[in-house]
Amino acid sequence: MTKPPFIKVLAFTAWLLVAAGGIVIIADYESRAGRFGVTPERWPSQNLISLDPQHDTLVMFAHPQCPCTRASMEELNQLLAQSGGHVAAHVVFFRPAKFPADWAHADLWKTASTISGLAVHEDVDGPVAKHFGAQTSGFVVLYRPDGQLLFHGGITDGRGHVGDNVGKDAIISLLAGREPSATDTPVYGCSLTGDSCPMPAPKTTAAR
Amino acid sequence: MSATSFKPSSDAAYPPRVLALFNEQWQSIIRHTDRLFLWLMIIQWFFAVVLAVWISPRTWNGPESTIHPHVWIAIFLGAIITSAPVVLAWRQPGKVLTRHTIAIAQMLMSALLIHLTGGRIETHFHVFGSLAILAFYRDWPVLISASVVVYVDHLLRGFFIPQSVYGVVAASYWRSFEHAGWVAFEVIFLLIAIRKSLQEMLAVAERQAKLEEVNATVERAVAERTAELTQAQQIAKLGNWEWDILQDKTSWSSETQRIYGHQPDDFGGKTMQQCIDERVHPDDLARVRQVMAAALKTGQPFVCEHRICLPDGTERVAVGRGEVLLNDRGEPMKMLGVVQDITEAKRAQEALRRSEEQLRQSQKMEAVGRLAGGVAHDFNNLLMVINGYSAMTLQQMDAVDPLRKNLEETLKAGERASALTRQLLAFSRKQVLQPRVLDLNDVVGGMEKMLRRLIGEHVELHTAFETALGHVKADPGQIEQVILNLAINARDAMPRGGRLTIRTSNVSVDQKTSFRNRELNVGEYVMLSVTDSGIGMSEDVKAHLFEPFFTTKGVGKGTGLGLATCYGIIAQSHGDIRVYSEPDQGTTFKIYLPRTNAPLEPPDPDAESRPDGTESLLVVEDDRTVRTMIVTALEQCGYQIQEAGDGMEALPLLEQGNSFDLLITDVIMPRMSGKELYDEVKKISPGLKVLFISGYTDDVLAPTGVLGKGISFLEKPFSPARLARKVREILDGREEKTSHRRKIVTAD
Repeated sequence: MTKPPFIKVLAFTAWLLVAAGGIVIIADYESRAGRFGVTPERWPSQNLISLDPQHDTLVMFAHPQCPCTRASMEELNQLLAQSGGHVAAHVVFFRPAKFPADWAHADLWKTASTISGLAVHEDVDGPVAKHFGAQTSGFVVLYRPDGQLLFHGGITDGRGHVGDNVGKDAIISLLAGREPSATDTPVYGCSLTGDSCPMPAPKTTAAR
Repeated sequence: MSATSFKPSSDAAYPPRVLALFNEQWQSIIRHTDRLFLWLMIIQWFFAVVLAVWISPRTWNGPESTIHPHVWIAIFLGAIITSAPVVLAWRQPGKVLTRHTIAIAQMLMSALLIHLTGGRIETHFHVFGSLAILAFYRDWPVLISASVVVYVDHLLRGFFIPQSVYGVVAASYWRSFEHAGWVAFEVIFLLIAIRKSLQEMLAVAERQAKLEEVNATVERAVAERTAELTQAQQIAKLGNWEWDILQDKTSWSSETQRIYGHQPDDFGGKTMQQCIDERVHPDDLARVRQVMAAALKTGQPFVCEHRICLPDGTERVAVGRGEVLLNDRGEPMKMLGVVQDITEAKRAQEALRRSEEQLRQSQKMEAVGRLAGGVAHDFNNLLMVINGYSAMTLQQMDAVDPLRKNLEETLKAGERASALTRQLLAFSRKQVLQPRVLDLNDVVGGMEKMLRRLIGEHVELHTAFETALGHVKADPGQIEQVILNLAINARDAMPRGGRLTIRTSNVSVDQKTSFRNRELNVGEYVMLSVTDSGIGMSEDVKAHLFEPFFTTKGVGKGTGLGLATCYGIIAQSHGDIRVYSEPDQGTTFKIYLPRTNAPLEPPDPDAESRPDGTESLLVVEDDRTVRTMIVTALEQCGYQIQEAGDGMEALPLLEQGNSFDLLITDVIMPRMSGKELYDEVKKISPGLKVLFISGYTDDVLAPTGVLGKGISFLEKPFSPARLARKVREILDGREEKTSHRRKIVTAD
């Protein structure tokens, strides 16, 4: 085996670094969490969604066109399947008033409609989202029947990334009456309402 | 980085050829896999872009949307990942760097696709599928490179972004081994498969090398046998050929091509008919076609001798043998045959035939010569007596004696008989020549007057002499005899008159030629031609022209010895005579005599005087009458003579102390020949001079028929006066400069 010329080694190294850098960039993009506002500790009274007095109430806020939210919907589907019907689940799709209803009734809406035990709502111009401080698609809140906030955050570990994650595990634990590994997690998804006011992502508390 | 070269641990166990074959096959597989990945990488890139556009075309910010970053990532990062391996696989397939770059890029592409599909577990199969495809290289370091990329990716992301890999924000470092373990699980079995595959490839290479060796041995043997066959065919001048009758295609061995004067490509696309037509001699063509047609019709083998015309104009003789192969229905399918060049054999056969003919001719001439010699010896002795006594009687007779005329006629008849005897010796080449350096212009010029008289007024004589004609060494009397014979023949060929031309010229022969079994060597010659405008000759006449006793003249008009005599004289003079003639076109005889640079020798003045002497002479002659005639003639000249009947009688005379000035001895005698006598005499009396006399020497004196210098000879029959002059010349020491000059007698 003859020694490769220096220029080749240099070119190969450069290529490898650029390609690896690209992978790092998309990994970073994937793991960059979205914003969310202040989630009320008590169930807001002025609300189109009613708090279930018998079961915990779970609400997911979703952008109907956000591709990353497919992963959140998938995780929600699994979560509800594992909850055994002990939760009242709702998904609220944001729709700007200037868009027709069909805009909201896209694939995600249809997917959500097929999930058993999940109530689908439309949030025109996002007042409901504002009440719950939801600013990123895939944002989930969980309240006890007495209106106490149990959990808020995302149920994926990355942007559009399905798989085991802290948020889903925490909700399942709460529904099962166990101690959750975390009560708030980062949310990965598109900006829900397009609010320009950015909010820092909450620090995720993860179980070790 | 060079191409792959396999070096097994037990390197010495494998011959270089096995390793070369193995590496050749392996390199082929690697290049093929490189090409496979070239297209796979491009397809994957397009797939990534399509996937990104399909899954996440746009990203949203509330009501606003832009193109999703995944699309840009798929386009640009996909291009970056794809570029290097594609370029290398395209430009440098088979190189180590190429396949390692492909392995790394393939794993990076897996990472990209996993990202684009949101980490779907199904997309992770791309990693395992890629490893399996990379195993096509059968190069384990490639799998290691790919595995390292997978492991480093997990390790770094597990360290920096653990939730993207393990689903938790913090994970133990060992968890990276869990993911890499599944990769390792596959890689281990792929490595086992690769090792097994390489061993099989090595075994195949071994078998192929052995097969090559066997093939090489077989091919070498075939080549050797083919070369031997070709050589054998060349030696035997025997070639083989094959004719596919159904397709009318021919194939010829190289020797067959050589025999027919063809180049290897000449036969391409030609039919058998064309091949035959091109080369077979036109006179043999019909016969060859007929023979082959008959063979095709009957299916029987054939043999056909024919001539071949080569492109350079030469002609060869070949014999072809062939057999027809028939199919199941009995129809001719193929014809196989051989052809042998028998030109040399034919030439040898012809040469043998000529030699046999020459031998027969020689034997005939020898027999005639012996007959002529025997007759000549006895005749000459008789004529010696007749002519000698006639001459002596005439000398003593009165001029007015009425019996003188009778005696003169007797002498003339004797001289003609003597000339006839000489001709017998001449054509049988048994006469003794006494050559001297001559100018043929002088010889012909000296005969011109006589020739005009001889040929008559109705024939016009022309002479054309080359002024600077070279000299020849020949017996002048014999040459005159030749010219005379040719002139008489010319006259007889022009019964109604015509023109006779005698020409001389210098000729250079630059190429050896042969005629009538005689060869004319390269050299300088003097040519004498005798041309008539007569009736000419047919080929048949020309063929027998120089044979003794062959004549076209009527009975009693010719002896058939004239041209035979000419031929004998010229042949004995180391020259050649050739004839050119056609019916009604006249005839030309050309005589070639070797040219010599020696100066002319003056002729001996021919006088009728009989010089006297008083010396003591010993005459040895077995024929008593001849001896008496010689003794009488010499005694009349005043010499002291003692005589002996043969050598055995002569020797005692010398041993008794008798002193002689000259020994005159016959050559052919009983008990002891003249030559043997002389050899004995030299021992007793070394200074004694000798004169040999004979009508036929039987090659005793000179095996070639030409006397050497210092030997005195007088041919019988001779006159008393000629004997007296010869004796005087020898005694006076002038003999070596003298020359015999015969009388010219017409023979034909």
